Amino acid sequence: MKVTRRDLFVWGAGAAAGLVFTPVPWKLLDDVSIWSQNWPWIPQPTRGPIEFKHTFCSLCPQRCGLKVKLAGGWPVGVAGVRANPMTRGALCPLAFGAHQLNWHPQRLRTVRHKGSTASWGEARATFAKACSEGPVAVIDGQPGRATSSILASFAERRKGSYLVALSPETRALLPYESWSGVPASSLGYDLGNAGTIVSFGAPLLDGWGIPGRFTRLWAERAAGMNDPQLRLIQIEDSFSHTAARAWRWIHVRAGSDSALAAGLAQVLIEEHLVPAGGPVPSLVLSDAAAQTGLSENSIRELARTMLDQAPVLAIASDENPGVAALNVVLGAIGSRGGIVCRSKHAEKYVPFDDAIRKARTVLIDSSVPWDFQPQIDAEIFRFAAWDIGSSKSDWLLPAPGFLEDLTDVPTPPTSAVEIFAVAQRLVTPAIDVESAAQFLGSIDSSLPSPEKIIHQRCADLFHQRAGIVYEREPTPVAKFESVQKLEAELWKGAMWVGDPSSLGGLRCELKEWPTAAVAKPSQNWATEWNAPVLPPLATKLFRESSLREAPDRRIA
Amino acid sequence: MSARYGMVIDLDRCTGCGACMMACAAENNVPSLPQASARTGITPMLVRKVSNGAEGSDRREAFIPILCMHCENETPCVRVCPQQAVEVDKETGIVMQMPQRCLGCRYCMTACPYHARYFNWWDPAWPKGMEQSLNPGVAVRMRGVVEKCNLCHARLHSAMEKAAAAGKREIDMADYVPACVEACPTAAIHFGNLADANDPIAQEAHSPDAFRLLARLGTQPKVCYKSRQAWVKALAEPNAGPNVEVKHV
Repeated sequence: MKVTRRDLFVWGAGAAAGLVFTPVPWKLLDDVSIWSQNWPWIPQPTRGPIEFKHTFCSLCPQRCGLKVKLAGGWPVGVAGVRANPMTRGALCPLAFGAHQLNWHPQRLRTVRHKGSTASWGEARATFAKACSEGPVAVIDGQPGRATSSILASFAERRKGSYLVALSPETRALLPYESWSGVPASSLGYDLGNAGTIVSFGAPLLDGWGIPGRFTRLWAERAAGMNDPQLRLIQIEDSFSHTAARAWRWIHVRAGSDSALAAGLAQVLIEEHLVPAGGPVPSLVLSDAAAQTGLSENSIRELARTMLDQAPVLAIASDENPGVAALNVVLGAIGSRGGIVCRSKHAEKYVPFDDAIRKARTVLIDSSVPWDFQPQIDAEIFRFAAWDIGSSKSDWLLPAPGFLEDLTDVPTPPTSAVEIFAVAQRLVTPAIDVESAAQFLGSIDSSLPSPEKIIHQRCADLFHQRAGIVYEREPTPVAKFESVQKLEAELWKGAMWVGDPSSLGGLRCELKEWPTAAVAKPSQNWATEWNAPVLPPLATKLFRESSLREAPDRRIA
Repeated sequence: MSARYGMVIDLDRCTGCGACMMACAAENNVPSLPQASARTGITPMLVRKVSNGAEGSDRREAFIPILCMHCENETPCVRVCPQQAVEVDKETGIVMQMPQRCLGCRYCMTACPYHARYFNWWDPAWPKGMEQSLNPGVAVRMRGVVEKCNLCHARLHSAMEKAAAAGKREIDMADYVPACVEACPTAAIHFGNLADANDPIAQEAHSPDAFRLLARLGTQPKVCYKSRQAWVKALAEPNAGPNVEVKHV
């Protein structure tokens, strides 16, 4: 049989056509697709032994309890701690992606001086020289820590000032400090016993105070109930997340909180709904109605509704003496379900005054929110773990990031009881970082270390023999046999909680009705967050859902 | 008897904080790609904001977490998948997605009445070094495949391994809690075995306040919702109530 050229063509064409009906080309196509989908440079998760450790979040003053999942020593997941009596397992949304922050592209990796790379040695020498030339101001964002003691000691030894950038929740308590003499740092809200909470723009369900403390309370006593055990009345100019879930939303004009507080006090006093005594607001009801956009009848009805379910507590979003005065009229000072004094030994915060303007040098701790930018001529040394490039600081000094620093956990603002805990360092920083305490310690070697102060605080707690330590099971301090055992428990992530606040001893003397406060925008977990960046996952999810906008001043 | 894992989400408790979305994305190694948008991003758990359409003091808003409903009957995605990349696990009732089998035709996305499926448009990528923060229990999915909620299957595996190590056949439900359930600060998301009459969520799912989205389709979702508010319940069948206008915001 002779094979012709034509036969070869026919065989070739037949083979080509037949191949299409075999799995070969499709398998090849599939394999090429799979191969191209799995490039060797596609990231793979870290492998290593899995362990869980308890610690505390360091990114805002609320210091929520964290259960951190580690793989090969790296944090790969964050969850809440159910046994934590303050948060009861709840966290703000940002915490769930916080373990990614240390690798954020905006991480500050080197010392920077006016935009150029510098060294720690240069920063130290310049700071030491500047301190010898004039007054120094040290600014702290989370007072009460061991680091805070070091910052305050350094300022005191250099005859400088130790100043605190207060959170909005703490600023809201300042009027009570000036009327009672009790420091705002020792005041808190007894939310658990309140019957009605009147919020003047405070984002109570959106990360106000300790995320989880009020939301859990609201979920158990109010959510979806027509006649809830806890009535939340939200007074706000916009339909916020808190307004959406409140029992009542009172829509008022922006900046009219003080006028409404005065109007409500007028009605309460005029209709003898509260005991007589104390100053009366000079603002007449018709003016309050005109300023708020509500009718006089609406204000009257609101005043009566508030008292239907006592105790009543008014909460301002920021410093607002008018709202504080309303609490005085309501009798919510030093009473059950009101403003309580949790400690008699707290320090008074030093307000920002001329000290910062007279300073030759200003040192800003990494706990101070990024948007705090003092407009002064002094040389500014700022510690920060992240840098978005908008800082006006002369020196930017890389600070430890998330879970990279040992710190203690003081009582968060708004808490009705004292707490103490230790947040251990879970991650070894991959870059050359220093905390403000380490930096100052290297300049003044006589300053104590944070470890020494934490050890002393544990010893003080042990000798007081008061309060309860919450780990898996609550254990009274009196049952611990030694300081070492108590300290070991706290280092493992347990939390000490003090005895309940005493209701007596807090009394506000109000001589005249305060003048209206300048309205400030309400703040929540996103604005209080001291990192200038959000976890990349939060940026992504906020962008891809209609839930909320990422704050303008923060970037991916 | 095989389990039927499901959820009951109490919408009256949801404050729209987004903690469930964050926890879900972190647990499942969802990449945060800057080029992704609301249409192209991956959000296995997506909280939507809805309102009753009224203005002023009559305005009401609610937040609805949307995830794979794990349909029990005539599961739409299973029926249309040409690759058998989706199946309902007989032992758990979980609708499983197998990215290794998926060819990326996206037919399942079209078929899903809840829009709870997402396509991987790009290779997964993270900023340099951030891959060290990925959860080792969950594999990174490749470009060109569809993905969705699998009720944190990795956590189920861990619970099964723990039960097996203890010589048990049944898992302890305390060991199997999906990330969104664990993260919810108001405990609005309840998880359990719908086939177990003694499980609290099996009773909750049959309460008068419980409802399922698009129940008329007969797919029997294993994710139920719960609310005492009539206008929220009306969301379940958007075209069924003549007097209810639901506005998505």
